[in-house]
Amino acid sequence: MAESGRIPVPLRLCRGCRRFVRVDGREDCAFCGTDLDAAEAEHEANVAEMRRAAQALRAALAGRG
Amino acid sequence: MDARRADALPVRYAGLDDIVNRVPVSVVWEITLACDLACSFCGSRAGHRRRDELSTAEALDLVDQIAELGARDVGLIGGEAYLRKDWLDIIAAIRAAGMRCDLQSGGRNLSEERVAAAAAAGLCGVGISLDGLGATHDKLRGLPGSYELALAALRRVRAHGLSAAVNSQINACTLPQLRELMDVIIEAGATNWQLAITTAMGNAADHPEILLQPWQMLEVMPLLAELAVEGRERGLFLQPASNVGYYGPYESVIRNVLDPEIYFHGCNAGDTVMGIEADGTIKSCPGLGSAYAGGNVRETRLREIWEKSEVIAFNRRRTVDDLWGFCRTCYYAETCMAGCTWTSHALMGRAGNNPMCHHRALEMDRQGLRERLVKVKDAPGRSFDHGEFEIVVEPVPARVPDRIAVHG
Repeated sequence: MAESGRIPVPLRLCRGCRRFVRVDGREDCAFCGTDLDAAEAEHEANVAEMRRAAQALRAALAGRG
Repeated sequence: MDARRADALPVRYAGLDDIVNRVPVSVVWEITLACDLACSFCGSRAGHRRRDELSTAEALDLVDQIAELGARDVGLIGGEAYLRKDWLDIIAAIRAAGMRCDLQSGGRNLSEERVAAAAAAGLCGVGISLDGLGATHDKLRGLPGSYELALAALRRVRAHGLSAAVNSQINACTLPQLRELMDVIIEAGATNWQLAITTAMGNAADHPEILLQPWQMLEVMPLLAELAVEGRERGLFLQPASNVGYYGPYESVIRNVLDPEIYFHGCNAGDTVMGIEADGTIKSCPGLGSAYAGGNVRETRLREIWEKSEVIAFNRRRTVDDLWGFCRTCYYAETCMAGCTWTSHALMGRAGNNPMCHHRALEMDRQGLRERLVKVKDAPGRSFDHGEFEIVVEPVPARVPDRIAVHG
């Protein structure tokens, strides 16, 4: 079995300033101070809301056809 | 990443499984050093054939060896690959072995007949080099009219139903023209645009005036982010080379391949990327110099070189302790490992300290400083050679206002 390649050291995207930050147990962004978990939760909620709206729009358009 | 998204990615994108198993997903093969252009930044100083290029039989055997390692994509480069008489046989063999095959070309003599023959042989796509607009391209490529010839080749590729891409250098000459260039290549039908910063190797080491300065990353990255977003909306997929970066507020935007959480995770030379020179020399990345040659397939089987050469393994052996200068104590040191190995080696004489970095430029700027490269040693004049530069740290010059108010 050949030797493995270098496994990437993980980073996490701060949804506040869009910079990647180290996964080192710190709760706030090292660059902008945003609460990383809270910003991630807000981002996911926004994405879910956008998906719901897009689905509703598609359904409405299909109904018109 | 779910299966549907993974299926949508280009085959040369490496996943975690590929890294773990060290699959050379993307193999870049210089099949000849013969070239019909005379580019002022050419890293390999192409022009004449290498003295001892592989024979047809050796090249076809090498195709089988590449396939045995699980490679998915073989990119043929030169020099100018179509100047090799058996280039169509090599393309056909790569396709018969189940791998994707692309051609990177300056396009000067990529005639209708050549494109048709390559398509018939199974070629999947062509990347045409376009470095700035009109006169800028012609000057950098060393041939008046080469810009129009390249554009014509790009349209020809598209007309034959092949995947059409463009490769561009980012340097002091091309940077101001990238926005307009994007309009041109979209109009010509390209769907992929690979951008790489001109590396200070080969002919480019002899022309420091065309190289970007580190502080210009403050201009490069926001521009690329803007172009990436606009390009995607217009059907052009921007692909930054691994010497473009790193981190800063635009990392997610420029490297977004269906997933905003993709980021630069260090040089992948020798892990998922392999470079081959026309005489059978194997390197862990096509751009690397001869010091990084792991062996030659005339003497050793490819698998043995790939799996056992310590030179090929340099990337896996690197630790933060091998870094120096700014990169040694950088916030991203463990992930980035000083970015593109050859960019730092070609500039600084050894790897591990890479001044061509956005995060670094931002940190310097925050302190009112910037870095400037000054050439202190010429390159000896060989293929893939380099000179040496020193970093001068200086205060950011006072910004000149656009208009000076005149009080009468």
